[in-house]
Amino acid sequence: MKYYVWDPAIRVFHWGLVTAFAANALFTNPEARMHRWVGYGVAALIAFRLIWGLIGSQHARFADFPPSARESLGQIAEMATGRRHVHLGHSPLGGLMIYNLLVTLAAIAATGYMMTTLAYFGVDWVKELHEMLVSWAEISVVAHVVAVVAESRRLKVNLPAAMITGYKQVCNGVAVVERGPE
Amino acid sequence: MTQTGRAPRVSPTAKPGKMPAAMVNRALPLAGLILFQALCWGIFVIDIGSDMVAQWPDIAFDWHVTPEIGATLGLLVAIGFEIGVLVRLLRRQASLEQGLRVAAGALAQIMEEYFRDWSLTPSEQDIAAFTIKGFSIAEIATLRGSAEGTVKTHLNAIYRKAGVSGRAQLVSLLVEDLLRFPEGSGSLLTGPVPTDVAGAGPIGKALP
Repeated sequence: MKYYVWDPAIRVFHWGLVTAFAANALFTNPEARMHRWVGYGVAALIAFRLIWGLIGSQHARFADFPPSARESLGQIAEMATGRRHVHLGHSPLGGLMIYNLLVTLAAIAATGYMMTTLAYFGVDWVKELHEMLVSWAEISVVAHVVAVVAESRRLKVNLPAAMITGYKQVCNGVAVVERGPE
Repeated sequence: MTQTGRAPRVSPTAKPGKMPAAMVNRALPLAGLILFQALCWGIFVIDIGSDMVAQWPDIAFDWHVTPEIGATLGLLVAIGFEIGVLVRLLRRQASLEQGLRVAAGALAQIMEEYFRDWSLTPSEQDIAAFTIKGFSIAEIATLRGSAEGTVKTHLNAIYRKAGVSGRAQLVSLLVEDLLRFPEGSGSLLTGPVPTDVAGAGPIGKALP
């Protein structure tokens, strides 16, 4: 069965953020103007995502993936017992990672902007915080990718493909669940 | 359809991972601790790694490094141990949450020891627990979000590993032990061996 889950805006946001973060974390010179403009791009993408989380399509909304300790433990229990339910939107643990990445990237953009202002230019703690947050974001990205691959294998759903095409292709006989507000 | 004639125990729309609050209260601190220690571990590894890179090769002869690496490895072992505890806790709770409350206590202990003895996989343990409780194949498939054919395949593996012919024999195996070992008499495998099966070899081979 094929389920349409990610709207075009979500997909553009996702891959745009991947490109921008990779560019600034790995390639651009932090002193250069390019780094700043890419950073503004990240800030704009995050701002868009926050709005889209309120008014976007079903699975884009924050109400569709509220942070929940109980559901997160339930997902770990599913892994431990070999049970298999495919979440159509973000899974409970996946949703936690989304919030983590949104907050971290927003903070990176904020501290990055602070360094361009007169008040905070050359202030040590701002620079160190900016770099620490980038390290944290890199660890998170690696964890995110590892988890996506692991969950794709466990659930037999190609999650990266879903983020490209918008459709989750679920094997016959595997149950799907919606989350949504309690 | 249920085998006992009571109201259906499995709602087709049941959401997975709904566990009672008391169980969340037990598992959550453990999950939090694992996450926190994993973070600490990551920081230690990065710290040691950057020291190594910066001060190579002098650092190889620095006696500070060995205990640091030892402590990091010790933490890793502890994290692994805690993950094992969490997984076992969640597995047991996952059975309990779906009307398997009977399985608490003596029966749960006997089941777990048998499952370990037969080297059942996590999926097989889950399905065996449901089967012993009397859930039908269709019900188990719904609970686990899988196809009935998958459950049947697992069941065959369970019966083969247990050396029994089917569900009835599987259940009778446990019931026999329950009758023989009242709760509180200690572990099944390490407890006293009754004379009638003494010498019959490992558990599961006492049956004809």
